[in-house]
Amino acid sequence: MAEERLRYYILFANYEQGLALHDLLAEAGIPNRIAPAPRAIQGKLSCGMSLLLEPEAVEDARRCIAEHQAEYVDIVPLAGQIHARRDRYC
Amino acid sequence: MSKYYIGIDIGSTCAKTVILGKDERVLLRLLQPTGWSSVDTAEAIRRQLAEEGFPIEEGTVAATGYGRVSVPYADKRVTEITCHGKGACWVYGAADLTVIDIGGQDTKIIQVQKGAVADFLMNDKCSAGTGRFLEIMANTLAVRPEELCRLAARGGGASISSMCTVFAESEVISLIGRGEKRENIAFAVVDSIVKKVASQAGRLCQGSAALCLTGGLCEYPYLRQSLSQALGHPVQTAADGRYAGALGAALSARAMESPS
Amino acid sequence: MSDYVSMWKDLGMDLESHDLLCQVLPTAVGDVFLTQENRPKGMDFWDLVISEVHGIRPKELIEEQKKGRKVFGTFCVYVPDEVILAANGIVTGLCGGSQFWVPGGEAVLPKSTCPLIKASVGARLGRTCPFFRIADMYVGETTCDGKKKAYEILGEDVPMYIMDVPQMKREKDILKWKDEIAEFAKKVEDFTGNAITPEKLGEAIHIVNEKRRALARVYNCRKNACLPISGRDALLMMQISFFDDPVRCAQMCNKLADELEKRIADGVSVVPAGTKRILVTGTPLAVPNWKLHNIIETSGAAVVCEEMCTGTRYFENLVDETKTTLDEQFLALSQRYMKTNCACFTPNTGRIDDILRMVREYQADGVIDCSLKFCCLYDTEKYSVSRALKEAGVPVLSLETDYTDTDAEQLRTRIGAFIELLNG
Repeated sequence: MAEERLRYYILFANYEQGLALHDLLAEAGIPNRIAPAPRAIQGKLSCGMSLLLEPEAVEDARRCIAEHQAEYVDIVPLAGQIHARRDRYC
Repeated sequence: MSKYYIGIDIGSTCAKTVILGKDERVLLRLLQPTGWSSVDTAEAIRRQLAEEGFPIEEGTVAATGYGRVSVPYADKRVTEITCHGKGACWVYGAADLTVIDIGGQDTKIIQVQKGAVADFLMNDKCSAGTGRFLEIMANTLAVRPEELCRLAARGGGASISSMCTVFAESEVISLIGRGEKRENIAFAVVDSIVKKVASQAGRLCQGSAALCLTGGLCEYPYLRQSLSQALGHPVQTAADGRYAGALGAALSARAMESPS
Repeated sequence: MSDYVSMWKDLGMDLESHDLLCQVLPTAVGDVFLTQENRPKGMDFWDLVISEVHGIRPKELIEEQKKGRKVFGTFCVYVPDEVILAANGIVTGLCGGSQFWVPGGEAVLPKSTCPLIKASVGARLGRTCPFFRIADMYVGETTCDGKKKAYEILGEDVPMYIMDVPQMKREKDILKWKDEIAEFAKKVEDFTGNAITPEKLGEAIHIVNEKRRALARVYNCRKNACLPISGRDALLMMQISFFDDPVRCAQMCNKLADELEKRIADGVSVVPAGTKRILVTGTPLAVPNWKLHNIIETSGAAVVCEEMCTGTRYFENLVDETKTTLDEQFLALSQRYMKTNCACFTPNTGRIDDILRMVREYQADGVIDCSLKFCCLYDTEKYSVSRALKEAGVPVLSLETDYTDTDAEQLRTRIGAFIELLNG
């Protein structure tokens, strides 16, 4: 039952960058959600915020980033992050 | 339209399957140990049903018990509390009753009014007063659980004070060490379960509704007697008591088709 | 530029251990919040705050400390924020809601202590929570025996002030609490070096009332048959409100309430019509404790209200804003706070009245009364709560749980059966 769906995370150096892109994407009608950056892909970045994209939205998001020269660090695919009945709390 | 209704109750110890026909007759009962994987058990049940001439594709399947999430082909999943309530009504032919289900890893007290669950209690993270407790103590005494209950009927005098299964087991071992008679130790084990279940049940069965036992321990007459005594009210058992959960699931499967 | 690592290092935190905590949070947030569809846009703010929970706000607090402001860490909705604000202090909640901190607490406390206390002590001793490192003074209170004794350990290396909360609600108890507030005000003046004037206290009372009104607006939206926000989202908003700046908190809650009111007008609900509505009552759910709400809402029901410290007990009742002398203001504060119905009081029939009222106001189909393990007060009160609800014909499920994941399946069975019972 584990959801293995691949999703994409846009990582940032700081949340100001993240919020700016969140607004740009929203204006362009590209669905994206604010999410904590999974530690597995966060590397040395200490910014906790990322933007979560469904695979269908990745190309649109890349175009939007290029068009506005928006600041970001990386776009990373990751599976199995979101599962409503996993019952692993913290 | 499905040809029959399949109820599968995967408990911690045993998996029970019942097939209910359109005419409300029980067409098949299956009982098997759950083993270590409920997924494998569910698959074994699927195969066995096909062999018996009841392929799951031609019926509606409802799963219950703690392994209910491991039955991938279930059309519906229902908790064992609802199923034992419904199943007990069917088995005992009553709409108002208090169900005591002594299961492998938990004990449930379910109050049923007008055929629907009105309230329930479950023991917390502790195996005292469950089938597992009985099994472990029977093991220590090197007898089968049903034999332990038969022995208990002839015993008396001894008692176990600890509620914790691990500590209670060491009490049993020290009773054995002291040379206490086996039937007296067996008596102490059953007495401990009965007291625990009765104190739990006392919170819910204050009314005059009939008291019914479901689950595997249904088949042990001494346990029923002893429980009746402790509760001051006769506790009923029935041949199909063990299948109450699975029957309840089958009834839930039926309700999917004809919501009434 | 957010360089939180150096900030955490400067705070003397245990970075290695803290990193383990940072690993589990994103998974839980993903599972509990990002699985939901059709969330209000206004939740963006709280999604950001929880993503950066040990970053954004701690950094702000440190900036304010550099300007000379003092940060007070509190553990109870009985501690009057107004007094601290009036002396230009900052309040931050400190209650621990993570199992991550429990073993650290168990190293010094009896195992049979409630997980909230164990987690709070563990967060302090383990040096893995920036808020515990930042707070200049902790303000405790005597609302339960577990906390009372834990404060003695917590306060060993940080200034600790304890307020003596009465145990009854007679007139003389209200006066006693007023005196406690006045004494606390003196302590806060000394500690901050700022005098509390009636003007400043009046302003602070207004600020906190505005925050309460904003929280209440969001909760009012949850009373509607068309449910515009999930219980999980409302709980997150509530949990974060204990840490946020009160003015910004009110702004963000009002913005969210605007959106929710519009959703109601447009008939936008987060659940299908007929979904059973649950009022959750009992002990607080400190951030990031989302287990109960997540299990309820992934079992086919919706949480419409929390009769909890992290819920209605935090915002119901306002302080009278018309008083102009400190003496009158302290009394007005005492009168408002003493209306909060905590199980530490006896008798506490007001809480039963609250619960029955909320069942009606929030159109609840059933009540789940849940207490943290080893909370003797709320656990004992379950008896009266469930009796009163049964008499009123309201189905109730009593539960006890802690911060571990191990009972999730048992909770799913109980909660699932309860929802099946409600669905008939």
